[in-house]
Amino acid sequence: MMNRYRALARARGVASVTWIAAAFVFLFAPLVVVVGASFDGGNRTFLNFPPQEFSTRWYFQIAPDLFQSLALAIGLGLTTAFLACILGVPAALGLVRAEFRGKAIVAALFRAPLQIPAVVIGVSFLKLYYLIGDVFGLRLVGTLPGLLIAHLFLATPYVIGSVVAVLQRFNLRLEEAALSLGASRMRTFRRVTLPLIMPGVYAGAMYAFLVSFGDVPVSLFLGGPGMQPFAAKIFNLMEYDFDPSLLAISTYIIVGSFAAIYFLQRAIGLDQLTRSGGG
Amino acid sequence: MKARWHWILLPSLLLSLGLLLASQIAFLRGGFFRDLRLGRMGTDFTLANYERFFTDPLYLDSLLLTVRLSLTVALLTLLVGFPIAYVLARLKSRWTLVLLAGIIAASFITIVIKVLGLIIIFSSGGFLNRFLMWTGIVSSPIAIVGNPGGVVIGLMHFTMGFSILLLYSVVQTIPRSLEEAAEIHGAPRWRVFARVILPLSLPGLVVTGLIVFNLCMGAFTSAALIGGGKVYTLPVLIQQTVINQTRYGMGATISAVLMLVTLAINGLSVLAMSKLDKRRSAVA
Repeated sequence: MMNRYRALARARGVASVTWIAAAFVFLFAPLVVVVGASFDGGNRTFLNFPPQEFSTRWYFQIAPDLFQSLALAIGLGLTTAFLACILGVPAALGLVRAEFRGKAIVAALFRAPLQIPAVVIGVSFLKLYYLIGDVFGLRLVGTLPGLLIAHLFLATPYVIGSVVAVLQRFNLRLEEAALSLGASRMRTFRRVTLPLIMPGVYAGAMYAFLVSFGDVPVSLFLGGPGMQPFAAKIFNLMEYDFDPSLLAISTYIIVGSFAAIYFLQRAIGLDQLTRSGGG
Repeated sequence: MKARWHWILLPSLLLSLGLLLASQIAFLRGGFFRDLRLGRMGTDFTLANYERFFTDPLYLDSLLLTVRLSLTVALLTLLVGFPIAYVLARLKSRWTLVLLAGIIAASFITIVIKVLGLIIIFSSGGFLNRFLMWTGIVSSPIAIVGNPGGVVIGLMHFTMGFSILLLYSVVQTIPRSLEEAAEIHGAPRWRVFARVILPLSLPGLVVTGLIVFNLCMGAFTSAALIGGGKVYTLPVLIQQTVINQTRYGMGATISAVLMLVTLAINGLSVLAMSKLDKRRSAVA
């Protein structure tokens, strides 16, 4: 009886390890292949994995405008993340702490951008920008402010979501303690409230950056010549003009992402990121 | 103290409400005017675009395809993701963190790069196809570009990472002691799963499934790249209609239908869930 039980448990263990391993192969195979094929020196019309002959030549043939679009995407992502926090943190505080009628509706309005497919956001902002251009003579299509406004619209709900999640677990006694010990409201907010909600803010900022950095449809519609963030640029090149140097720059992104995860883990801890969730 | 919290919410509310209304009205109202192409529209209110959508098989087929693909991906993602999330949540090892970090890192990377990798893996002269043909499993190379199965794989890459993370936090809320109690009373493993784990994580499964479904309904990048101009889901069709044909009116109509159908399916599932909940609590 005992032996059978143990054998069953072991079989279950083997099964779950196999399942996890299969899932990781599934998740990581495309990344491994991109990194591997980027070192292939063979002819350029054919992508080889595993590499046929090792070469780093594609790394020296990355077009300057690819680096430019990468810099644009990182800058845009960081600005989006920062401004999304400026907008999202007060909104989250208001949503959790204020008592007013129609709070559920306001919360739903803040979540609305998540319900709209990104393609639709892209087209409708394009239409809006044309309209603004006609009425005010202000050009937004193909400009940095135009991209930034649309990305903020996409990303702010993520910050609100993760800060709301932290605030709902917040122990109000901590603030009461600070106030009763004579701290001013401003000081209480700066020294007690803010540090306690910071994990939510970091998580939200990270999601906001990822949403902006990974966005294709919105940037595709609103970007212009010389104003195309990295993901949209790669999308266009893949559709029309493939070149193995794309694999090389993608390898930089993959390595960079893993490094970022490592530093995030060291700096704030990953369970903070998983626990607060993305809206 | 209480009154102040209203005001700090106001600036971001006004901004996001303004952008939401302005962009959606500017775009969606175009659906109610005759589409003269080249970005021009008629001046009389008409439902012609909507009529066209529901009579032209091109649009109806695209709608059905989008719903079918999204349902398939949602179910597959739950089926694959839930066991992983469960094992990770129950695993008491320092490897848990490493595995979670791996999943987060994999979902960090933009879908364009993953699609690039998928296309290399499934390319006709690629190692996977050479291997499969060598073993004799397939007689001709399997391709993912231009077929719906490939789009399903691409979409699963898009949704799998964060689904596992969401389900992981769902399983963490189920106390392990409940499972142990059932086991001590002699319930075999499958019954513990069917009577304890599954019912307790059902709300989380439904929520995750709906999020995945919604994302897939609106997914553009992987559908466009892997579809290779042959798999027309609604988002791909919207981009084609607006960019290649400059038909803003028809584009607006497709967008409106896409959002309404997604919303309706969400509403129905939530309704079904609450019905189920009521019945169960009535039994108990």
